Amino acid sequence: MPQPLSTKENSLFRQVIRNYEDKQYKRGLKAAEQILKKNPKHGDTMAMKALIMNQQGKTDEAFALGKDALMADMRSHICWHVYGLLYRSQKNFEEAIKAYKSALKLEPESAQIQRDLAFLQIQMRDFAGYIQSRSAMLQARPQIRQNWTALAVAHHLSGDLAQAEKVLTTYEESLKSPPSKTDYENSEAVMYKNTIIAEQGDYERALEHLKTISRHNLDRLAVMELRAEYLAKLDRKEEAEKAYRALLDRNPDHPDYYTKLLEVVNVAADDQAARKAVYDEYVEKNPRCDAAKRLPLDFLTGDAFREAAKAYLGLMLDRGIPSTFANLKHLYVDAFKKDTLGAIAQEYLESKKSSGEKAPSNGDPPKGEGAALYYLAQHYNYHLSRDLAKAMDFVNQGLELAPKNLEFHMTKARIWKHYGNTQKAADTMDEARKLDLKDRYINTKAAKYQLRNDNSEKALELMGMFTRPDSQAGPLSDLIDMQCVWYMTEDGETQARKGNVALALKRFHLVNGFFDVWVEDQFDFHSFSLRKGQIRAYVDMIRWEDQVREHPFYSRSALDAVNLYISMHDSKSLANGVNGTDANGDDAAERKKAAKKAKKEAQKAEREAAERAAKQDPNKAKSPLDENKKKDDDPNGLKLAATEQPLVEATKFLSHLLQYSPKFIDAQLAGFEVYIRREKYLLALRCLKSALDLDASHPRVHEQLVHFRNVLNTKLASLPAKVQEVIKSEFTALDASTDLKKYNADFQAKNSNSAPHVIAAIKAKKLLGEDQSKVEKELADVLSVKGIKFEDAKEVLALLRGWRSKEVDGFKKAAAEKWPEVTAFA
Amino acid sequence: MDIRLLRSSDIPLIQHANLENLPENYFMKYYLYHALSWPQLSFVAVDVSRPKKTPYDYPKIVGYVLAKMEEEPTDGVQHGHITSLSVMRTHRRLGIAEKLMRQSQLAMVETFGAHYVSLHVRVSNKAAIHLYSVTLGFDREKTEAKYYADGEDAYCMKLDLSAIRDQIQEARQAGPDAEPEDEGEPVGDVGKAGDEGKQGQDLAARPKEQKRKVKVGRALGVAGLVEKDESSAGGAAKNP
Repeated sequence: MPQPLSTKENSLFRQVIRNYEDKQYKRGLKAAEQILKKNPKHGDTMAMKALIMNQQGKTDEAFALGKDALMADMRSHICWHVYGLLYRSQKNFEEAIKAYKSALKLEPESAQIQRDLAFLQIQMRDFAGYIQSRSAMLQARPQIRQNWTALAVAHHLSGDLAQAEKVLTTYEESLKSPPSKTDYENSEAVMYKNTIIAEQGDYERALEHLKTISRHNLDRLAVMELRAEYLAKLDRKEEAEKAYRALLDRNPDHPDYYTKLLEVVNVAADDQAARKAVYDEYVEKNPRCDAAKRLPLDFLTGDAFREAAKAYLGLMLDRGIPSTFANLKHLYVDAFKKDTLGAIAQEYLESKKSSGEKAPSNGDPPKGEGAALYYLAQHYNYHLSRDLAKAMDFVNQGLELAPKNLEFHMTKARIWKHYGNTQKAADTMDEARKLDLKDRYINTKAAKYQLRNDNSEKALELMGMFTRPDSQAGPLSDLIDMQCVWYMTEDGETQARKGNVALALKRFHLVNGFFDVWVEDQFDFHSFSLRKGQIRAYVDMIRWEDQVREHPFYSRSALDAVNLYISMHDSKSLANGVNGTDANGDDAAERKKAAKKAKKEAQKAEREAAERAAKQDPNKAKSPLDENKKKDDDPNGLKLAATEQPLVEATKFLSHLLQYSPKFIDAQLAGFEVYIRREKYLLALRCLKSALDLDASHPRVHEQLVHFRNVLNTKLASLPAKVQEVIKSEFTALDASTDLKKYNADFQAKNSNSAPHVIAAIKAKKLLGEDQSKVEKELADVLSVKGIKFEDAKEVLALLRGWRSKEVDGFKKAAAEKWPEVTAFA
Repeated sequence: MDIRLLRSSDIPLIQHANLENLPENYFMKYYLYHALSWPQLSFVAVDVSRPKKTPYDYPKIVGYVLAKMEEEPTDGVQHGHITSLSVMRTHRRLGIAEKLMRQSQLAMVETFGAHYVSLHVRVSNKAAIHLYSVTLGFDREKTEAKYYADGEDAYCMKLDLSAIRDQIQEARQAGPDAEPEDEGEPVGDVGKAGDEGKQGQDLAARPKEQKRKVKVGRALGVAGLVEKDESSAGGAAKNP
């Protein structure tokens, strides 16, 4: 029950609300205080005061007061509404929904509360709740089209397509006169309905419906694409052909149209010449179109391929198109095409050399001879056709021809990268950068190569050349504001390599934070999109948001975080182990050193920020971004690194990985490692089984199989009967009676020519309790495995370091002899 | 190369391309604001030849045009605006930027009845200015001093879209769906564009508001996106 106030106080209360809405927080607080002086337990006023305090950033006090307000007046919808708002501002949508529901019970007629609740429900994908809210809102105001569309969206998202269509139709039938042809809310709503009909699989009806709406529809492209799609699905080939040809006339650079066209024209799938002829028509029509020229290379074979490739490559090299190699490299999985393309480029080069044409001396991408050298350098730098010496030779020839050409420098840097020489790669990329100081692309590459060479300071300095100069907190702060995922991920990996656990964790958590923001970002669009009327784009966005964390941007840094937490756990348990006293000392000292350094860096950053702030023109308004930004209370990740439970922290990232990227084998492998350490055997088994399904021949799958069986041999009996039963019936990949040592030795013998498999077998040996020094020696000997790559050797080095082995120095020396260019062994 | 409409799921890699290439950057919500307000106007160029690295690879974006309609045109003329356009250095010379722009311009007219499209470009960016003025036919309207955060000036450029409007009109009258009447303006009661040939007279009179707009874009992103009363309990309280 609202507590009664005197007339004067009532008007004061209205003023509080007005002040809140106008963001006049100080005035609002003053007025609230005035009311509370006389009515200290007035719930609504307390609630409004809490709301204002929350806006001022006093979250904890606001929550406490919000609770007090509820205690004072449990029957007030305002108190509950405010409580919901407080939770909403904390992004705790579940609790917010509960509070809103209570508010709505007390005030069922409030459109405002209903609206807020509805958006929370859709944000949380509470479809049933959303349908209920939307139905109520529609009943309250059926004259507004938005309310009908919204209810249809609710049914659509919950999977009830027929109901969604019915709602849209009901509204349409209620219209007395047809909407104006230029009403794009209507234009979009009918297109939305059309896609719902098609989604139900009824293309006949979808096509009929499309015919009735297409004439005046404002989204021409969608009308044309849907029409073509429906015609093709209905096997009305002649009309479909026409429709796809119309689309190609509009945009000949969309490969999908060609594919679809070829499905409906009367051409046999194996008649290469006829298929090529279809593309050739468009080459003729659109001389500047790349797709029509290039796409036939995908399906042509033999001499036809050679001929077409020669024509295409010749044209591209004549014109000096820098992306030529990038656009053809997917063909390299076919050995014939790979060799043919290499040979054609070589022939081209020789013919140009003899003709004696000169390359441009400015920084433009080279044409003719230079373009061929560029192509061949990339050809031999690519992993499927790699010969780094040849690649270097071609790039050097290119640099002789065009010393100031940026592309040659970039490629040279990339060749050094493939040699493992991160130092020379970074230096060369920096030379490239200096050739065009105004180009952020090359600056970005240069910064990335610095990070790969573990030089964070230089990388950030380079980044700072293009971040906002008025960002007070410096380049890193701008990169965080702009959600620069790649930098955080690369820098995190750099810090992890350097042993700076705190900063590494910080970076990975920042990326996770970006994704949190991206999920929250959709919130405002639940109402915005209805107002704008762009429903199909909204539904498309919702479906993408449902999967947003499957993005490799997320999985890469999340996996990095999980692996780092695992290594934190392992080094801790190693340090606590019997023979770990020395190591413990080392480790602690190292961590102390890193912490000290991080602290120093933080102080430096703070000083610099203060200096920048001092230089700021005091007359200029601060950017609202700087003002509103909450101060990060752990900018260097020291709190993150201080965790006592790294595996619990790891599980937070891991559960996202397993939920959104279950087909990513590295996620399953990491999952096993976390769960086996946490002694969650069923979960470990589930990851192991998934990994087996994904790639049974993966070396680490072998290692984990042995690991799991070995653990079971000692632990199984101590587990609850139910768990034992499940494990026995589900874990059949490696029988309990297996002699694991022999099984592992057999595996190693069978795969003796694959370094990753040999490494896995040796790791398994250690798990099986083989003598430590013997295992380490054997691991160091992996260098003699045929075909071992320096990347494998880097893994061995990391392993030996992790085990704090005496072999480290010797191995590093031997590896440096084998790969003199690899910076990591230098 | 694939030139196609922008989808929400492209945005992380569009943002990535933007951060790699240009100093003017935006957070996710600002891209979403474009994708969800004018989904017909923004296009991407995708490297379809890229071999997959994980089962969850997203199409690699090598170029994009992020475009919008001016929401409250000060000259009263419905028109589009290019918020951001870039193509990876590795994918130049294929005409990608031009193709992206042409697709966007067509949709601006078809869907939103745009009369012209405007954009800003750094006065030092010769390649971009060449693309806009020579290849695409933009006119330089004026110079905006210190438009960019680093103090550089911008040219404000403008392209009249009446050629596309005429083309569409012709196609409509020639096509099987031929119809006699004029389609008119898709949106409300907007003024007529400058007479043919004298394009952009009215544009010159527009007040200087661009600079502020960019900052809004970056700092507040989508300030206009949230209705004021949406987050207030007051609305409920006023309505007992």
